[in-house]
Amino acid sequence: MTVTAAPPAPATASPTAPASRSRLRHHGATLALLAPAGITVVALVLVPLALVVRNSFAAPDAYGGVQGGFTLANYRELIDPVYLKVFGYSLGMAALNTVVCLVLGYVVSYWLAGRPPQRQGILLLLIIVPFWTDFLVRTFAWINLLSPGGPVNALTDAVGLTDGPAQWIPSQGASFIGLVYAFLPTAIFPVYATLRGVDPSLGEAARDLGCGWWRVHTKVLLPLVRPGLLAAALLTFIPTLGVFVIPVLLGGGKNQLVGNLIVTLYTEFRNQPMGAAASVVLLALMILSVAVLGTAARRLRGKTS
Amino acid sequence: MRSRAARTGHLPDAVTGWLARGVIVFLYVPIVVVVVLSFNDSDLTYKWAGFSTRWYGVLAQDTDLLAALRVSAEAGVISATLATLGGLFAAMGMARLGPRGRALFSGSLFLPLVIPEIVLGVALLSVFGTLRASLGMTSLVLGHLVVTLPYAALIVIGAHRALDPSLDEAAADLGCGAWQRLRLITLPLLKHALLASWLLCFTISFGNIVMSTFTGGVGTTTLPLRVYSLLKTGLTPEINALGTLLVLFTFVIILGAGLRQMRRVLVDDRT
Repeated sequence: MTVTAAPPAPATASPTAPASRSRLRHHGATLALLAPAGITVVALVLVPLALVVRNSFAAPDAYGGVQGGFTLANYRELIDPVYLKVFGYSLGMAALNTVVCLVLGYVVSYWLAGRPPQRQGILLLLIIVPFWTDFLVRTFAWINLLSPGGPVNALTDAVGLTDGPAQWIPSQGASFIGLVYAFLPTAIFPVYATLRGVDPSLGEAARDLGCGWWRVHTKVLLPLVRPGLLAAALLTFIPTLGVFVIPVLLGGGKNQLVGNLIVTLYTEFRNQPMGAAASVVLLALMILSVAVLGTAARRLRGKTS
Repeated sequence: MRSRAARTGHLPDAVTGWLARGVIVFLYVPIVVVVVLSFNDSDLTYKWAGFSTRWYGVLAQDTDLLAALRVSAEAGVISATLATLGGLFAAMGMARLGPRGRALFSGSLFLPLVIPEIVLGVALLSVFGTLRASLGMTSLVLGHLVVTLPYAALIVIGAHRALDPSLDEAAADLGCGAWQRLRLITLPLLKHALLASWLLCFTISFGNIVMSTFTGGVGTTTLPLRVYSLLKTGLTPEINALGTLLVLFTFVIILGAGLRQMRRVLVDDRT
């Protein structure tokens, strides 16, 4: 669903925009209509986020609650090899997951966009179904598949790749497959949406002019679907950092993501200020990655045009 | 050019074409396996021991899971209703704003979509902690409202913008009051979008696990939280049976929400 994260562009000259005189009259009604959503965002998102930032500088009380005061100790504690490893591992996993999802997302979108229009609708439905299927179901499905003696193991036994029960779960590999599986549909939609809007004759023209397959994609199509790829990258990268269910169920909880760290700090260590600090770091990583991706996209655009 | 290239059997296109088909198979194999293994007459999930529906019987007797199901359904209904109403009001209000105000408002409305959900959860928990509010259905629903409202807004605002404003103006010129215009013009025209919004918000709330981890209380363990804690000790055929029912539920929701709405939200809005 998060596929269309980009807010609808504001219409420049909407015919519904009332004249300024009547707009004044409607001011009260407008505010009343905007209030429920507006108050929700302010009271349940913005104020709470500000509070997290504040709490990340507070000292914990005896029970791990927030005592107040101002200290950098929570952040200093996070600069510990144990925690730094979690952040590094998360960034690596998120980056790898994003790359795999983008490549496969592009391949699927390109293939999909080349099907006859009616088939495209059916195939799109085929991708929508797993996308809407419960997240936990999609995760534990892999426990079935990868169990020793399970379906995949039976297959590899038959082919001769393995001999007897294989211990694939829990493992980092299983955890990674779970991540790709969880985010792949999310990555397909925005890429497909932009690729569908690209005039197919552009690629055709490039081919007629002697571009090979690789260059048709890298020089013509990929630059045109960059907005979709960028959206897909954000929608994969950011949520991957906050995932905590997959590393626990498929990875055995050994290699944690930032999400696991935050949950552990809150629910097991009950150290709220430090949990808040980890959350602020995650938020900062997110803002940083958005900035980096944005700059990368702008630089690429400069290069190709 | 794409279809022609496929026809002429251009090798790289053929290879990526098969890779794409492989990806779609990859998306389905795990789901199909859950469904098949839910009918497995064995205490182990993965060793096939004949067909049986006994795990569905076990599931129907599981009072813990049924209690969790009730919590999730309740939270889903309340938060989907609140989110859809909030989205509707926001859509109507935004139509009265200038372009600048609209951009600002929609920007803040969609902000939760780009913030990791776990941070949103931690943030809400901090507020409840500061207010010394106990966690329960109210906090759970408020958390789900944060997660669902952007989606409701996305669907309803998009549909509202596609309405022909002259209908509303004509009704106003003919002497219809605001309430009449809402009842006779806006709501009937938006009913498919509102239904889609409600169903999608319900699904999001129903399957939510991250936000619920932070905003759920002792008596309000949701179905995903319950299943998650069961899974930590191991997967059972009973959970596969539950998973199968959830897959079935996904089909019903997708068909109910209408494919057109679903496509509009997922791919059409962007172009």
